[in-house]
Amino acid sequence: MSDPFIEINQLSKDFDVSPPALERWIERSPRRILHAVDKVSFHITRGETFALVGESGSGKSTIGRMAVGLLSPTNGDVKLDHQSLFRSDAAHTQAMRRRIQMIFQDPYASLNPRWRTGSIIAEPLRVFNPRQPKPEQIEAIARLLEKVGLSPVDALKFPHEFSGGQRQRIAIARALAANPDFIVCDEPTSALDVSVQAQILNLMRDLQEQFGLTYLLISHNLAVVRHMARRIGVIYLGRLVEVADASQLFNNPRHPYTRMLLAAVPDIQKIGAGRTTRMEGEVPNPINPPSGCHFHPRCPLASTRCTQEAPELIDGVACHAVARPA
Amino acid sequence: MLQAVPAPPLLDVKDLTVQIDTRRGPLLAIDHISFHIARGEILGIVGESGAGKSLTGAAIINLLTPPIRRIQGEISLQGARIDGLSIQAMRELRGKKIGMIFQDPLTSLDPLATIAQQLIETLRAHLPLSPSAARARAIGLLREVGIPAPEQRIDAYPHAFSGGMRQRVVIALALAAEPELIIADEPTTALDVSVQAQIIELLKALCAQRGASIMLITHDMGVIAETADRVAVMYAGRIVEIGPVAQIIQSPRHPYTQGLMGAIPSLGADRTRLTQISGAMPRLTALPEGCAFAPRCTKAMALCQTQRPSLTPHEQGAAACFLLEGATV
Repeated sequence: MSDPFIEINQLSKDFDVSPPALERWIERSPRRILHAVDKVSFHITRGETFALVGESGSGKSTIGRMAVGLLSPTNGDVKLDHQSLFRSDAAHTQAMRRRIQMIFQDPYASLNPRWRTGSIIAEPLRVFNPRQPKPEQIEAIARLLEKVGLSPVDALKFPHEFSGGQRQRIAIARALAANPDFIVCDEPTSALDVSVQAQILNLMRDLQEQFGLTYLLISHNLAVVRHMARRIGVIYLGRLVEVADASQLFNNPRHPYTRMLLAAVPDIQKIGAGRTTRMEGEVPNPINPPSGCHFHPRCPLASTRCTQEAPELIDGVACHAVARPA
Repeated sequence: MLQAVPAPPLLDVKDLTVQIDTRRGPLLAIDHISFHIARGEILGIVGESGAGKSLTGAAIINLLTPPIRRIQGEISLQGARIDGLSIQAMRELRGKKIGMIFQDPLTSLDPLATIAQQLIETLRAHLPLSPSAARARAIGLLREVGIPAPEQRIDAYPHAFSGGMRQRVVIALALAAEPELIIADEPTTALDVSVQAQIIELLKALCAQRGASIMLITHDMGVIAETADRVAVMYAGRIVEIGPVAQIIQSPRHPYTQGLMGAIPSLGADRTRLTQISGAMPRLTALPEGCAFAPRCTKAMALCQTQRPSLTPHEQGAAACFLLEGATV
């Protein structure tokens, strides 16, 4: 395997969700800590798409935010090209930020409604290349708009004049403006209709080939993930439960949660199909997760060991029952 | 395939047209749509946002509020017209004959009333039951929809339930008066995948037991594939294709349905390029004169720009496209 480009190493994030201090003191209640992300490690090779899938509250977006440096981790590190993202060195942080960009879920919220499209796309250009002359900048904006399938005259319009799919194209153009190596895409198509989703997914793949981009794709939609990613990590209540190549994960899922998730996805190829596996339970509250392996209350293979001990990720799967003995 | 049944279909909608009055003039949100649902059948209604799916559901039970109004159309339930009913008669019909399930289970429950109060109120509004009998019936309903320990949970408030459990309560409410038809508007869209599968199974099983029909409105073709018997595909306020679910998915006739099926990523396929339909659905303010899909259609002809195709039946279903009427380029 080639050299890892992005390394996520033992990444953890805790959120303090305690009630106010006075209330805690009066009710004699302890602090409450939400372990949103718990020792997650994986790596991404240059030019590949790595996808994180999980249900709501699994911590996948929190990982994405840490991977771009929008949140600092409680523990662990994110490295790009062997350099840590979290160093108290402003010049270094600035240089790293140019190389990492993000595309958000909701293109209605991620674009400033009072700015013209041109200014939105120009912002990264101004920040990372302040000495660029104005005519060159305008030319760069026009080029970017064309790259994402819009027209250069769209630079003068406001975001409200565009449809959801077009706005997501603007968000992609803004991300590309910084000339990044790595883009974190947090549910880039969840807010879009299927026919528009296909346009955006195809565009993302074309741009990846053209610029050699590395993607971290965060999604709850397994079909989208299957379509885009080469490697996939499945996350459940803040822990990575399985990491595998896409084809292997879909043809031969190993972790019981992955199997359940795959059986649960409604798919157009399952016409009138009766369910073979019964789905049990819901995702527990992450503030008070089950002991041991978080999945054990819903797991058909659970043993007493699973209730006491959290499994390590060995050989791509974190499960006592299915991991091969070392 | 269901046309041979002599009895009237459970729900029959003819030429339903809904208009939105705006300051700049009226907009046609639903344009002369006709369909029927047989007893015990699940009809899926799919389409992109703004296609008119939810308005169709709301128009059937007359939940339209100004400036949106029905300007034309006949709606019959079990052979009897329901489109001209008085407000009072319609109120009795809703819940009793037609149950509703909405997308967001949090907003369809009253946060200030316990589950017991809401279920008992619904039951007693439609059925002659004493308070204690209604309570017993409510507990039975909660057990049927899979809520553990219903005797204790019934006195809880909605906020104490998770999203999936709330949607189960909403299903219990919709089924309370044993309706003949359930209109389910995106019932699983707000839920996680593993919970979504449970809710679909539950809805299917309960309706099969009771012989109730479902009108399932969703944008998720996967949900339709697993659940529906027949599918109506809507585009810009019209039904462009209707037919059995297998036909719609495997051999769609209308160019829009064909494009839509190619655009949906599937679990089975490997990393291939998705078929894409260029552009987006036209806004209601800028509907083209001819076929609404013509500007995005790769097979559009001169005829499509000026005239609107109507639903042409074929051996399995029907599609609204001039190509199927034998017109050539």
